[in-house]
Amino acid sequence: MTASELSIVRPSGRTRGLRLLGVLRQLARRPEGVVGVVILAFFGSLAIAPELFVGPLQTAVTADGPRLSPPTDGFPLGTDELRRNMVNLTVHGARVSMAIGLLATVITVFIGALIGIVSGFVGGRVDAFLMRITDFFLVIPTFVLALILTPIIRELVGSGSQQLFGIRMTLIVIVVVIGITSWSSTARIIRSQTLSLKERAFVDRARVIGAGSGHIMTNHILPNVVNLIVANTVLVFAGAVLTETTLSFVGLGDPFQPSWGQILEAARSVGAPGLGAWWYFAPPGVCIVLVVFAFTLVGAALDDILNPRRRSRR
Amino acid sequence: MNDDATPGGGSGDAGGSGDEILRLEGLEVHFPIRFGFLDAILRRVHGVVRAVDGIDLTLRRGEVLGLVGESGSGKTTTGRVVVKLTKQTAGSIRLDSRDVTSLWGTRALRAYRRRVQLIFQDPYETLDPKHTIRQFVMEPLVVNGIGTKAEREQRVLDALDAAGLRPAADFAARYPHELSGGQRQRVVIAGALVLGPQIIVADEPVSMLDVSIRTELLRLMLDLRAERGLTYLFITHDLSLAWIIADRIAVMYLGKIMEIGPAERVIRSPQNPYTRALVSVSPTPEPPSPGERAKRTILVGETPDAAHIPAGCRFSPRCPSVFDRCRVEEPPLIDVGDGQASACWLAEGGRRLPVVDGAAPDAGPAPGSSTA
Amino acid sequence: MTVTTAAERRARARPRLAVEGAPLLEVENLTTHFRLDSGVVRAVDGVSFRLDEGEALGIAGESGCGKTTTALSLIRLLPANARIVDGTVKLFGIDLVAKSDNALRRYRWREISIVFQGAMNALNPVHRLREQIAEPLVQRLNVSPREARRRAGELLELVGIPKKRGSAYPHELSGGMRQRAMIAMALACDPAIVIGDEPTTALDVMVQAQILELLEDLRHKLGLSLILITHDLSVIAETCDRVLIMYAGKVAEEGTVHEVFRRPRHPYTQKLLSAFPNIHADRRTLDVIPGSPPDLRNPPPGCRFAPRCPFAMAVCTEVVPPETTFDGVRVACHLYPAGSDGAPVTVPTADAIAAGGARP
Repeated sequence: MTASELSIVRPSGRTRGLRLLGVLRQLARRPEGVVGVVILAFFGSLAIAPELFVGPLQTAVTADGPRLSPPTDGFPLGTDELRRNMVNLTVHGARVSMAIGLLATVITVFIGALIGIVSGFVGGRVDAFLMRITDFFLVIPTFVLALILTPIIRELVGSGSQQLFGIRMTLIVIVVVIGITSWSSTARIIRSQTLSLKERAFVDRARVIGAGSGHIMTNHILPNVVNLIVANTVLVFAGAVLTETTLSFVGLGDPFQPSWGQILEAARSVGAPGLGAWWYFAPPGVCIVLVVFAFTLVGAALDDILNPRRRSRR
Repeated sequence: MNDDATPGGGSGDAGGSGDEILRLEGLEVHFPIRFGFLDAILRRVHGVVRAVDGIDLTLRRGEVLGLVGESGSGKTTTGRVVVKLTKQTAGSIRLDSRDVTSLWGTRALRAYRRRVQLIFQDPYETLDPKHTIRQFVMEPLVVNGIGTKAEREQRVLDALDAAGLRPAADFAARYPHELSGGQRQRVVIAGALVLGPQIIVADEPVSMLDVSIRTELLRLMLDLRAERGLTYLFITHDLSLAWIIADRIAVMYLGKIMEIGPAERVIRSPQNPYTRALVSVSPTPEPPSPGERAKRTILVGETPDAAHIPAGCRFSPRCPSVFDRCRVEEPPLIDVGDGQASACWLAEGGRRLPVVDGAAPDAGPAPGSSTA
Repeated sequence: MTVTTAAERRARARPRLAVEGAPLLEVENLTTHFRLDSGVVRAVDGVSFRLDEGEALGIAGESGCGKTTTALSLIRLLPANARIVDGTVKLFGIDLVAKSDNALRRYRWREISIVFQGAMNALNPVHRLREQIAEPLVQRLNVSPREARRRAGELLELVGIPKKRGSAYPHELSGGMRQRAMIAMALACDPAIVIGDEPTTALDVMVQAQILELLEDLRHKLGLSLILITHDLSVIAETCDRVLIMYAGKVAEEGTVHEVFRRPRHPYTQKLLSAFPNIHADRRTLDVIPGSPPDLRNPPPGCRFAPRCPFAMAVCTEVVPPETTFDGVRVACHLYPAGSDGAPVTVPTADAIAAGGARP
């Protein structure tokens, strides 16, 4: 070991199989990582099996509480105007918000990584062209773009109660819109990493033995940007949840899926703030804040962990 | 610019020991200087970096040719052209008398790559940290569609074994970060061997390794040459390393070959002032006696950048023996006998400079003024 | 403020706390450890040496031997996970190890400064050269910015950079110029000792020769003392008066360059010397040292070189060899037990001599 190697406090090297475990262990060592993971685990379990916690989603028919009442026994977070238990709504909202977020993230990361790698690796005019498109999407405010796109996509895709893979069309619309508007920053980040990877000796070596661009991109570039993709995905997820919330809040969401944003929209249309019915918008609001905050914490911790070239000197 | 040999023999390659396996003629690599997006689209050029500026080089079967030069000399670019990582802008390449200058179609290019391979300088960077050693050594076979799965596995193990990594199966399963620098470089060598090449371009293969490990790797390379009839183009900035390992040495400066010949002659009896200066300042592990320090020819200034190459002989601004003709006309490689050639007007007519440690030759020119 | 000559340096005031009659630098039993996830690395383990005024000492060894850590320990520019756990570093008799970080600042750069390998890492790319050199003057010596810039210009000329290039940015300079700029920066506060950590390793051989010549010049002109850290024995042969050979965190051999290089005693020194190609000697006589340096988290008992030593005896794997001094040479090897007069314990066999043993 040289002196320079010694000054890096590196996570102990392990083989690939235990890498996930290693990362989790590293996360556990950092306070922000712990907090983030705990919060996400909590909401994650709510999202996966909301029925386990609060039973099936209440509807106007099955609701049994008083109308728009503040928290009381049996209704610790109060009720909405359809007499539904806020706890029930909020927990189910977790599922919808997270699910939409997840789907949108998959689309975003896929498009972003693909464009980032190809653009960065191929370079030249292709790169120039793709980056101008990326910049276009990057510069236009996400929300404005979403506002414009949603009706268009709806027209294209059909609306109402049609389903695709058992998911409602309206949901697909949101997911697609979020995906289209968010991929550009991922693309930029991945492209940047690709540019520096492209210059490294192992890429040269792959060329020398006769590998084509496709082989190099899949076998050398991709595995080396995966870390970055993962760290970026976490933040994209947070952004997706936020974007969905905002879209729902302005009425572009799916009224039949009570995501947190949807609940906020309902609260607004009922006039809850004016009525002082804080229990209507506080729970979903707080949940959104917590989840996004947790994602950010984990994202920051992951960035630290997956980037072991940090040095600290006195 | 083609270097024609003056009457009296070839450009240092005459004397037929070993037949020719690779020949570079008039090789040029010029890089256009462009800034930014608009230049890329419009293909606008602001200047040219003449990294390799017209060289003739012949590689003889089974030899180790040391290509020596400082940074900016063009030696690495030359190596890259030979393995076709960089495209030449002019000149020809012949492999076994067959013209391989421009290879169309992947099949022809692949066939070429199987015969000419490269050993890289940095063992820490050449291995993809995400791949096992097995994947690294097997990749050339996979990419070129060679052999069945079982055959590939066997070839990988054979290559690792030949590179001195035993037990091969054990090393094959490891990851680069588990190996030392010397071991990694052996893996790189195994990776170059697995295709069964005839020519290996080694670009500073030991400069990043500890001194005590270098010898092992050099011995390995020489052993492999003996076993497999390999030919090496050994690129290095370290003249003393070339002294140890090379049969012939070619000294490059700013994209041209300044001197070429058998290692013994180039080092013991350098004919080009640049070579002389390099030899005189090459450090040795022997403490100099009081008089010895004065004999070093330390040139003034640094190698100019390859976008602004001086007129006439490109070494003239810094040459201690410069005279008027040097600043006007660029000398070709002139044969000075014994298989040695020097690109210097002092060598005109095959005249040899006396063998004096580091002292200026007695050709009677005015001492040159050097511009920094 | 002008550049001091050697005589002026000796006459000028030493630090306030300097001990009368103490040598310039005396390092005793320096021990520095690194804390890693995987264990404690004993990078420097009981290293002692001395530097006198006007001397050039070379510290040589391969990577991992602890030479850079030793240098960084002298001025405590260590990373967060490193600690000096034992030993003293006495500058003019003042123990720097015992000083707090704040107190140490008084000496860092003003009495001891350092030139790093790869100047690009140490030069700030967004500041002009002259500003960077003037900076320590303004900060450390409370000199007016105008005066500091004037002196910076002087320093640049001293290291062979034309004054007008002081307005350049680092990326506009060549590697050799940048290294010269680093040297100018190191000289800014007129230190007594300059440490060079592989100062010429990344440079072309001609530029290396220029830089080494410059260091020689400066040494004589300014009465500087130099500690040169490098793996390249040839560089030490050219520039240094004395040499310290390190292996695996310990001192293997120490003495004048002439004595150690002409008659290496320690088997590691012998092997190391013969592993360097010598352009003026016969060809293809490179030696191999089989094996690799030990893992410093768990060094072997006894002599750390024993597993690779051609002369290893039973005692070598059990007892740490004591240091003996004779003929102006200090060796830590069981071939020369305490009180030895220079004759090795076992007479090397003919094979061992052929493989690079004692030279005439």
